[in-house]
Amino acid sequence: MTIPRDFRLVDGTVIDHLPVGTAARALELLRLPREGPVTIGMNVPSSRHDKKDIIRVEGMVLEKRELDRLALLGEHVTVSIVQAGKVVDKIRLEVPKRLRGILTCTNPTCVTNNEPVQTVFERLGRYPFRFRCTYCERVLTL
Amino acid sequence: MQDEALSEAARAFRGRSVVSANDFTRADILAVLEAAGAFEGRAGGPGSTPQEPRLPGRVLGLLFFEPSTRTRLSFESAMLRLGGSVLGFADARVSSFSKGETLNDTIRVVAGYCDAIVLRHPNEGSARLAAEVSTIPVINGGDGSNQHPTQTLLDLYTIKKAMGRLDDLRVGFMGDLRYGRTVHSLAAALLHFDVKLSFIGPPSLKLPPDLRLEIEEAGRLGIEVESLDEVEDLDVLYITRIQKERFPDPVEYERVRASYRVDREALLPLGPELKIMHPLPRVNEVAPDVDTLPGAIYFQQTRNGVTVRMALLDLILGGGA
Repeated sequence: MTIPRDFRLVDGTVIDHLPVGTAARALELLRLPREGPVTIGMNVPSSRHDKKDIIRVEGMVLEKRELDRLALLGEHVTVSIVQAGKVVDKIRLEVPKRLRGILTCTNPTCVTNNEPVQTVFERLGRYPFRFRCTYCERVLTL
Repeated sequence: MQDEALSEAARAFRGRSVVSANDFTRADILAVLEAAGAFEGRAGGPGSTPQEPRLPGRVLGLLFFEPSTRTRLSFESAMLRLGGSVLGFADARVSSFSKGETLNDTIRVVAGYCDAIVLRHPNEGSARLAAEVSTIPVINGGDGSNQHPTQTLLDLYTIKKAMGRLDDLRVGFMGDLRYGRTVHSLAAALLHFDVKLSFIGPPSLKLPPDLRLEIEEAGRLGIEVESLDEVEDLDVLYITRIQKERFPDPVEYERVRASYRVDREALLPLGPELKIMHPLPRVNEVAPDVDTLPGAIYFQQTRNGVTVRMALLDLILGGGA
């Protein structure tokens, strides 16, 4: 694949409307960079939300599990799929009602921190994100 | 509530695990309390008559990974009075758990030996996990500082028996509002009823914000004060123990403990009709001179534990069926 010298996205993903300051966290969550180039914009002007962070990744399509993690970074995060230089799909990320194995319970004596079991959290309301551990029933605010 | 709805709720207990008071609907609560009424006078004590065996040949597993007197013995008494048997351990050191076996495996194994399990475990959420992996019903006998749903049911039964109702009540909670699991579970369960809940405790042991918000949003929040002197008009006062381990400073603990001790004189302004409850054990937060007040119902409260647990076991294991 030939990558344009100005790093215009040819085939890849745009993660947009990240709250300012969360781009670094998003890179960490997605373990970027991987193979293709990654361009990052931080504190850039946004027509809808004043300022935002934005990440463009060449040659990568995100998996559901990765989208669920990204959704936790803010309430307006969008992901666009670019093919042959054109946006073919754009979705606004939704935090699932139930998160399996994504969050860790902050309660050290929760059974999920002491037995081999996957965590399950239920989302309470919308933003800011609050989740209840279905095991120990403690509430976690992100 | 319609009889049909109650019967439906009662039937739904068959084979069901009881993990958290937060899972109960109003119909669930009323169904258990109604069933408990049928075992009144059959749970031991003066004037009690033996219960006809309703669960012969059924075995209840009591897995107590943490010490307990009331919960374990009252479940054991309840099962024996229903004609069933019990097995289990009261000390995790004598189980395979001490050899490093996971809770998951212990539950799967024990599920092959009995018809229902009562679990007490130090980790919050252990009962939920056990209920997920078990092929038989699991009853939570206390999971760390989280839930103790049968305590909640017996508290509700005690209130209903003493007051004749669960609606139109003013209930005050005093003591450790932050860590006291009995307070959290009972307050949440009472939200199914038309009640006003007030809270009396030190600033360092206030109600968890989420529960407080839930009560406030339900329009059930009464007053929040630091001293019993500031309270008027209560039907029930639910007192809990303030635990030493919650205070890093022993001087602060002694100060708080002394100011949350009630005696006859402190209760006088609240009138003779006030019902005083305590999940026990008490240390010194309720003076012995309170015991003889007609409204002191904490020993009846513990006795009700057997009655309510008989009802719950009967519903879950299909007694008489």
